[in-house]
Amino acid sequence: MLSDDALVQRLKDLLGQEHVLAGPSASSYAVDGAAPRAVVVPGSVEQVSAIMALASAEALKVVPRGSGTKMALGGIPERVDLVLVLSRLSGLVDYEPGDMTATFRAGTRLKEAQAVLGRHGQFIALDPAYADLATLGGILATNSSGPRRLRYGASRDLLIASRVVHADGKVTKGGAKVVKNVAGYDVNKLYIGSLGTLGIIVEATFRLHPVPPVEKTCLAPLDSIDVAKAVVARILDSPLVPSAVELLNPEAARRVAEHAGLPWPPDRYGLAVAIGSVRSEAVDAQLEAVRRLCRETDIPEAHVLDGSVHHDFWRATQDFALGDGRRVVLKASVLLSQVAEAVKRGEEVATQHGLVLGVVSEAASGIIRYHLAARDAASPEHFEPGVAEAVTRLRAFTQEVEGNLIILEAPPEIKRRVDVWGLLGTAGPLMQRPKAEFDPQRLLNPGRFVGGI
Amino acid sequence: MDKERIARELTGIVGNEGIVVDPGELRVYETDGLTVFKAMPEIVVLPRSAEQVAGVVRVCHREKIPFVVRGAGTGLSGGALPIEGGVLIGMNRMNRILELDYENQRAVVEPGMVNAWLTNALAPRGYYYSPDPASQTACSIGGNVGENSGGPRTPKYGVTTNHVLGLEVVLPSGEILKLGGKTLDPLGYDLTGVFVGSEGTFGIATKVVVRIMRKPEAVKTLMGVFETIEDASNTVSGIVARGIIPVAIEMMDNNSIQAVEKGVGAGYPLDAVAVLLVEVDGPRDEVDALVDPIIDVCKENRVREVRVARDDNERLLLWKGRKAAFAAMGQISPEYYVQDSVIPRTKLPSIMSFIGELSRKYGLRVANVFHAGDGNLHPLVLYDSRNEGEMQKAEEMGSEIIKACVGMGGSLTGEHGIGLEKRDFMPLMYTGDDLDAMRKVKKVFDPDGLFNPGKIFPTATTGAETGPAGQREILQKVLGSA
Repeated sequence: MLSDDALVQRLKDLLGQEHVLAGPSASSYAVDGAAPRAVVVPGSVEQVSAIMALASAEALKVVPRGSGTKMALGGIPERVDLVLVLSRLSGLVDYEPGDMTATFRAGTRLKEAQAVLGRHGQFIALDPAYADLATLGGILATNSSGPRRLRYGASRDLLIASRVVHADGKVTKGGAKVVKNVAGYDVNKLYIGSLGTLGIIVEATFRLHPVPPVEKTCLAPLDSIDVAKAVVARILDSPLVPSAVELLNPEAARRVAEHAGLPWPPDRYGLAVAIGSVRSEAVDAQLEAVRRLCRETDIPEAHVLDGSVHHDFWRATQDFALGDGRRVVLKASVLLSQVAEAVKRGEEVATQHGLVLGVVSEAASGIIRYHLAARDAASPEHFEPGVAEAVTRLRAFTQEVEGNLIILEAPPEIKRRVDVWGLLGTAGPLMQRPKAEFDPQRLLNPGRFVGGI
Repeated sequence: MDKERIARELTGIVGNEGIVVDPGELRVYETDGLTVFKAMPEIVVLPRSAEQVAGVVRVCHREKIPFVVRGAGTGLSGGALPIEGGVLIGMNRMNRILELDYENQRAVVEPGMVNAWLTNALAPRGYYYSPDPASQTACSIGGNVGENSGGPRTPKYGVTTNHVLGLEVVLPSGEILKLGGKTLDPLGYDLTGVFVGSEGTFGIATKVVVRIMRKPEAVKTLMGVFETIEDASNTVSGIVARGIIPVAIEMMDNNSIQAVEKGVGAGYPLDAVAVLLVEVDGPRDEVDALVDPIIDVCKENRVREVRVARDDNERLLLWKGRKAAFAAMGQISPEYYVQDSVIPRTKLPSIMSFIGELSRKYGLRVANVFHAGDGNLHPLVLYDSRNEGEMQKAEEMGSEIIKACVGMGGSLTGEHGIGLEKRDFMPLMYTGDDLDAMRKVKKVFDPDGLFNPGKIFPTATTGAETGPAGQREILQKVLGSA
């Protein structure tokens, strides 16, 4: 085995002095408390490939990383030798506006990509959390999505081609730079949401959408979760085509409203429906239809948000967080008809364990994010068992309704108490096989993915 | 294989009425929608349940007998052909709707169910299933899963993979597994996503969970008549550049128009060089707002005439022509050879003029009827095999088109699949390492390689290119016909 010094020297020979960090400066890249022996910042696909070839020869465990916004996701790694940072692998590779496809290096930040595409009135229709910082590779590897997946889908619907560096250093491409393609297997699907356990995404081609020239929001305060359930069901069963339907619990609604500079009545849930279109009249007509559905469901008021208020509201929703202290974020996926029940269950368990709970849910997609924090910051000893219990109980509920619940963000103390991912069903043994084929040495992110992968 | 013994055992699983061994009856299964290739299975089984499928598969696995799955047999790349003989598992008796769950916007169906039946069943409640391949009144949902089928509606609503959320599958080992389900973002790798489009080489889907959608409030269909292909092509780009994503943008050239008008009389002008069909849907105000900008773009590109269908009857008539186009080719040619390659949309004018040149070079007419909105071409090379060498010429011309498309950054196939037909073209698009990554995925599902052998992967050494002549030679060796 290479000594630390020898390893760092080898890496510096590959990448140059300034692109390798070791010792104390590497420790800020610790993953769940495990500091890497070195941090590498390759500047080309060839360098990523060379690093993996070295890792393969020396059995080094590698954690790929973009901007680091999602490093709290995943199980505690078995071992971390290298953190491989993709930030230098950024920028546009290929863009033809008329084709509505664009290829970027994986370390490109979503925000930078949108700036390039925005000049042509187009965008990658992804609106995940940390949109300012998150990189395209990180978004894909963690399958991050946001409110507008209702209209545009998620990464699996938008990624059309990828370039990946495999555990042995080989570089392959999957898919093609056209929106329709069935030549060979759709290997892109395997990399999305795989947390870098099968390969390191270094380049990604997306199908693009036109930025809707007009987008506005109908925001309604609601007395109860039952009202929310009723109105969402009516929206779903209508011919309306909302871009997003977001349901916030009172804690989340109050905080989001505050960020957007809106007054918010106490103890009210918030329902926000975004409508986008090429024409203002078309947006207004749909908003009016949403308000009519609200009135018919005994919702007394519904406001239209426009311009910067609309924009700020959705940014605050996407980037929702409960302060900077001890906090945990869970993500559940449930049947559409069970969203309201899932919110209720979250509230019950939070109350029992003295936790602050902010719920941000994509009510028409069945995605719920529970943000948990300690009500009393002075007593962490209650926080950890309380969160663990919340995860166990909410997970049991989501599984009853054909869904699942994962921990998106949590400190390692929580991860030692409760599994980050939960149990796989009958597909459990099959799930192990892609890892065995693609990364038999278990070099990439070992132990961080579901089922101990 | 000991056919009699195996047939007896399989009969024990699927019953007397679920097995075919008579050579005359087996002939039904010797070809699929791509009729130039033929291969006879030794035994056909027609199971009625996942347990029966698993039972059959376990026998094949134990006896090391190759097996293939077949839906409605409408596939256009030879994917359902049992080229190594063995057992063919026909899924057409597993054709029930298991659940229509409107509240959760999902349906659960058996794979043998005909695509259009699902939308028919959903229609009374105002819902539908979006992917609508041209063969939708015959093709099965399971076949659509295998091929990741498309259809005209893909520019706005995507292909099969965007609408399939879960599967129950029987693996080649005989295990029955559940992948994904009604909810989004299932745990672990997206095995549902990679299974869709695996062309019946990973396993047999026995249940399919699909997204169902609320019917739009309004639909409008426009027909634009153009004097040049280039004007029609530029109109496609122009519409998209306005930020409009139509449900469908379909193009037909003059040969297609001739065939369609003789066949079904959809009302396309016989002297038009190209006809574009553009459909938009959504809330009424939105649809109304889209029509004028589309007409403007047509006018900017010297459209001769724009017709907006006034009612559903007119709309369906315009579509009838498009949907019947392949079938109508018999009106102008005894045979045709269809390609399915894809180009980036902006390359439309150049590929169309290249196809025109090829047509002159080979002395064969080409009818173009295709999904212009997503650059998915369907050039139908018209030929008559009674004329010496014409079929070979058609194939060669087809392969030149494929190569040009891939050279422009496109794909070998947009919706018909690689199957048997295009496997030796794979090295045009993928390196040996790219193909090895795909082989690894195949091994995940089918480590013994018994399931649907000889499909997708090139027979030649990876990296080498066989080309059409070599390909025909290899296929002739395999099939003894073609």
